[in-house]
Amino acid sequence: MAASPWEGEGGEVRRCSERRQKPSHAEDRGTTAMTSSWKQQLVQVLLVLVSCGHGDTKTAAPTPTPLPPVTPLKQDAKSAVLTGKNFTERVELSSPVNMTLSCTWKGDQDKPPNITGHWRKDGQEIQDSRVTVMLEDENYKLIQVFSVVSEKDLGNYSCVFGNEARIDFILEVLQMGEKRDKPVVSYIRDFVVMTCKVEENKPIPTTWNWYTSNGTDKEQINTTASKRFKIVSEERETKLKVKDLTLDDAGQYYCGAVYPIGTSVGQVELKVITFMEPLKPFITILIEVVVLVAAILLYERSRAKKDSAEGTQTNAEQNTEPQGDDKGAEGNDSVRQRK
Amino acid sequence: MYSASFPLSVKLGVCELNMPPAAVTNLGYVPPDGGWGWAVVVGAFISIGFSYAFPKSLTIYFKEIQEYFSVSYSEIAWVSSVMLASMYAGGPVSSILVNRYGSRPVVMVGGLMVSIAMVLASLGTTIIHLYLCVGVIGGFGLAFNLQPALTIIGTYFQVKRPLANGLAMTGSPVVLSTFAPLNQFLFDSFGWRGSFLVLGSIVLNCCVAGALMRPVDKRVRFKPSDGPPRCEGGAAEEAAEVDVSAQSADPAPEDGPAESKSQSYISRYIDFSLFRHNGFLIYLSGSVVMFFGFFAPVVFLAPYAKHQGTDEYSAALLLSIFALVDMFIRPITGFIGNSKWVRPRIQYFFSFAVSYNGVCHLLCPLASGYEGLVVYAVFYGLAFGMLSALLFEALMDLVGAHRFSSAVGLVTIIECGPVLLGPPISGALVDTFRDYKYMYYACGIFMLVPGIFFFIMHYYNYKKVNEELMQSALVISNNKEALQLRINQDDETMKSKYGLDTVD
Repeated sequence: MAASPWEGEGGEVRRCSERRQKPSHAEDRGTTAMTSSWKQQLVQVLLVLVSCGHGDTKTAAPTPTPLPPVTPLKQDAKSAVLTGKNFTERVELSSPVNMTLSCTWKGDQDKPPNITGHWRKDGQEIQDSRVTVMLEDENYKLIQVFSVVSEKDLGNYSCVFGNEARIDFILEVLQMGEKRDKPVVSYIRDFVVMTCKVEENKPIPTTWNWYTSNGTDKEQINTTASKRFKIVSEERETKLKVKDLTLDDAGQYYCGAVYPIGTSVGQVELKVITFMEPLKPFITILIEVVVLVAAILLYERSRAKKDSAEGTQTNAEQNTEPQGDDKGAEGNDSVRQRK
Repeated sequence: MYSASFPLSVKLGVCELNMPPAAVTNLGYVPPDGGWGWAVVVGAFISIGFSYAFPKSLTIYFKEIQEYFSVSYSEIAWVSSVMLASMYAGGPVSSILVNRYGSRPVVMVGGLMVSIAMVLASLGTTIIHLYLCVGVIGGFGLAFNLQPALTIIGTYFQVKRPLANGLAMTGSPVVLSTFAPLNQFLFDSFGWRGSFLVLGSIVLNCCVAGALMRPVDKRVRFKPSDGPPRCEGGAAEEAAEVDVSAQSADPAPEDGPAESKSQSYISRYIDFSLFRHNGFLIYLSGSVVMFFGFFAPVVFLAPYAKHQGTDEYSAALLLSIFALVDMFIRPITGFIGNSKWVRPRIQYFFSFAVSYNGVCHLLCPLASGYEGLVVYAVFYGLAFGMLSALLFEALMDLVGAHRFSSAVGLVTIIECGPVLLGPPISGALVDTFRDYKYMYYACGIFMLVPGIFFFIMHYYNYKKVNEELMQSALVISNNKEALQLRINQDDETMKSKYGLDTVD
């Protein structure tokens, strides 16, 4: 934690921009020591206020006036223990946070009393992050606080012990659950509804966007521009309805859940087919059924003819069944034979 | 010359009456018990399979249809319920048609109906459209498949009927198992509309099944000298021609249509006198209670597994194990039911199956962990399969093939209520207590109580039938002697008159 730069008398020079950059330290501002000449201070305060209005300029004197209110960043911490050479942990974030990452390494066979450790972001070493790590309780520990405010602050943060032992913390935007890996199928001139959902226990996105793929780019869908597209978004769910489909509408669609920290993207593939596609198996099976039914009935007719040719008992000997089902059935049978 | 109304083949006195026979069948002909009968079993297999498996397999499409029409899940689930309700409610209509026209036309019409329903549904624009097409028309079409398939087995088989029933009922798990991956494939390739279209054509195979259901040849009369009487339920066959006022209380064959007099047109085609039939009443009252707990455990097996912490694939695997065991136990049950030890006492076997289901559910909460659930799935598969295979055989055994058509129609429409209410009640139990075990206890009780009820009632019923049959046997043997006397007398007169030998 940086010491308050405003201790001491006479004030120290502090740039306005610096003050703006570290709003978290708003609480840290200690009370300034009152000088003997408060009038002098008041003048300096006025000067500071005037010059701050003009941007980054070196100003004099600290000021007791509070800065404009800023929402304090949340605090969060993730830690990991490394036993081998590599370890990766994924961290999902939705809003800006002060992330404390702590790494503990059990060390090699030979445990030197101190080693150098440093931090990397996306493979690049972070400046001024090299420190000497002491061996405490058979462990080496690296702790660092990172201020993760916007999308560019996300990425792969690694703590490196010595040269090889490394723990990766992958800070990324909250991923959407329920990834649909199979395409949604719909028909020409029909409509389709594609949904994206965020799980119950995850935070609600600020807003939802939909994109369509245009070559390699993602192009946002504008519902006012094209009437065929309609987006209905509730808190945890968004639906894209595309009417009057054509074959060109097929392809990848992306739904973006916008969080303060960045956008989480989900993917839905749309396939558009004509009604001929399912019609083909339909007709095939229809033909199969007709053939089978005809075969069975023809076989039966040929056997009946053979039977009657052999001159077995006549039909007059039919007994009278109360329900008359054999009468009805055989009546129908003969009707079929007449066909 | 003598069209004997009392054939001389009545050998009831010879048959051991300590094996309680089935109800008097009064068939008037010899069921083939084989031959084309096996082709009919194949047809019934297909029809029954489609009837039971089709509504269950449609659930795979619900999620997408729900998104498409922007409705809630319960509104979509109604499609399944309406279909099941129509299938059961269509029972009596189906019975009437089968009594009038026979099985074959009804099954073929049923197949066509479901097919048209699915094709229309694939063009549907609102959810109401789906309710009407898939739910109502589809459901009725399936009803027209189920009843006739069951009825025709009774006309083709007598001695081997339990086996035939068991084999035919195997259609349900087999078709369900084939439909599950098939539906997934169709859905991935064609979306829900195309799938409905293709399903419409697949369901047309019911018409093929119908074509196989050739009406049985009733010209083959009962042959007098048939060797030793086959008493495995064949005792009923022996008494076939006799107008026994036993528990079946079947009116003489000629009575049927003429009996109506003041009664309505309907009663000509549906036999309401069944409600005076003891066996039928026992079966009906037991089933009504039983069906409350029949389907719910299947529906909740996967959610229960997930609640216990298993992942989705393992939970689905449980259902597959269940279906596999179910598939194999049904023909085996049919075979056991056919054996000479069990056949005469098949109602006890049925009662045992029902009670076993109950015990299985009561013990389910004791199952711990995934292995426990697998064991439960296996035992439940055994229980469910046994019960399903015997379900209609027991009814046929009680009322006889003659009246089975009406009986099954009445039974299904009355069972409609418990079948539809069972899963929601169980669901409510789960939601109220936040624990599945109370639901399993409830289902267990729902099945155990009818099981014990069946045991007790059938004990008394068998005794009563035995007594009545012994009485009528006495009557018959008396009449037989009288007839023999008469015939001898007539012989003498004929001989003396025309100097001819009697045609025997």
